[in-house]
Amino acid sequence: MITINNLNFGYSKHNLLFKDMSMQLSAGHIYGLLGKNGAGKSSLLKNIAGLVYAQSGSLKVMGFDPAKREPELLADICFIPEEFYLPSIKIDAYIKANAPFYKKFDYAYLNVLLEEFNIPISNKLVNMSYGQKKKFIIAFGLATQAKLVIMDEPTNGLDIPSKAQFRKVMASALTDDRCIVISTHQVRDLDNLIDTVIMLDESTISLKASIEEITQKLTFKKMKELDETVIYAEPALSGYNVVVPNFHQEDSKMDIELLFNAVIAEKKKLKPIFN
Amino acid sequence: MNNSFNFNRFWLLVKRQWLEFGKIYLISLLVVVGVLILFYAWNLPEPEAEKGYRYNSEGFLYLSFRIPLFLTLGFIFISVIASGYFSLLGQKPKAIIELMTPASTLEKWLCSIFYTGIFSVFSFLLVFYITDLAFVKYIDKTIGTITFSWTSGVHPTPKTGIVSARTFFNDFFEHDEIKSMVVVPFMITSIFLLGSVYFNRFHYIKTAVVVMLFLTALIYTLIQTANWMTRDKMQDSANFGFSSAHNEFFIYAMVGITAVTVFLWCVTFFRVKEKEV
Repeated sequence: MITINNLNFGYSKHNLLFKDMSMQLSAGHIYGLLGKNGAGKSSLLKNIAGLVYAQSGSLKVMGFDPAKREPELLADICFIPEEFYLPSIKIDAYIKANAPFYKKFDYAYLNVLLEEFNIPISNKLVNMSYGQKKKFIIAFGLATQAKLVIMDEPTNGLDIPSKAQFRKVMASALTDDRCIVISTHQVRDLDNLIDTVIMLDESTISLKASIEEITQKLTFKKMKELDETVIYAEPALSGYNVVVPNFHQEDSKMDIELLFNAVIAEKKKLKPIFN
Repeated sequence: MNNSFNFNRFWLLVKRQWLEFGKIYLISLLVVVGVLILFYAWNLPEPEAEKGYRYNSEGFLYLSFRIPLFLTLGFIFISVIASGYFSLLGQKPKAIIELMTPASTLEKWLCSIFYTGIFSVFSFLLVFYITDLAFVKYIDKTIGTITFSWTSGVHPTPKTGIVSARTFFNDFFEHDEIKSMVVVPFMITSIFLLGSVYFNRFHYIKTAVVVMLFLTALIYTLIQTANWMTRDKMQDSANFGFSSAHNEFFIYAMVGITAVTVFLWCVTFFRVKEKEV
């Protein structure tokens, strides 16, 4: 669905944010895009959506060049930005004005989602809280039936019950012909939701692997004392939370925060494992 | 699917833009109507003071406030509307929603021209015409029975008549020079529309400052060039060498203004196309 080849991008020519980035994203997956502040998560999403232009390299989304902003592609992209603006009109007026642009717009599904998120359709957008607005824009975006769903920090501003609702809705929104990319720095919010992790660090992709591959190659567990097999460790109550190579095909639950810190701190140790 | 232009999509975009743009537009138009009514009411000729009336050469009541009112208010209205159209592209959250709307850049650009170059200009003309017509009718009705005398021509002969007023557009467009200036409003909107997409903040002020600086530089350059070209040369006619038998100057001016307008609209198209968030 998304093919990136040797992409070079930066807000100035001399300070590139991505250098020769290459990657492929396919339909039927929920990708979690992780990275430190300023690593370029939002910029990568904007490149994919055609909101910024790369210096060189190629980027194709469903066969289109997103930089051309062709309506056919735009109708198949649902982009939920971190900061967004909604006009001061009623929800039904917003739907009436915007939904006809999307040929596959599912009005019934939108109603189901609004009900799930407890948002009355008669509400005026401007009077809603930030969290409610975010839930509305997510519901509207999913109802467009876009094949590519891009979300930049979607859980920001959502309360705890809403985060659970969000995970439930997103899990049910994944279909075989849909690709979902979620960027966040609140990695715990993506627990049990994403199936592939993409980590950005130092102008490049430091890790791209499915959860299955990660848990096949690494074990996440608690240890009382550290040994030479440990790749990364964090002090915890009565011992350490550690990441170790999975030599004995152990089953473990991936600790996404631990993995994130391990990738940032021990890139050299992890690279041979995933290559 | 046609990715360049689709009439159905364009119409959807016009309707969608109205939701956001319409409020600012209607409020501005209401202010315009209010100012017009205020000015007309303030300047209405009073029957008791008929001696103070001024008449034009054809004996119609001369309402001198109308020309500056039309030009000033018209300029402010169409420039403010044009300056606000793409202003949302300067704000990241708004710009993302706008740029991700499934319509082509051509459609978004045509929609901007429709609202700023056509809709705002003609709605101002309509509002001005209706207000003016209403007051002209009122003037005719209230003081049209008063007889007066006036003199005109090279050898003045006193004439008598009844107080009467003509609508503004009858007065204003009776000169060919004015007719050739009908493209000026479109140029004004094209300048401010470009300013709205070029600058991220303070679009109106920045555009106005740039235009003033540009015009100052242009006029200064023209004067200096003309001085340099005519230095030490003798003047051979009373009209400074300018001769226009068939209003050629105004035709050239109209063509020039149209060319500048089209050029600025084209630049706006590319600015929208290349806009990054």
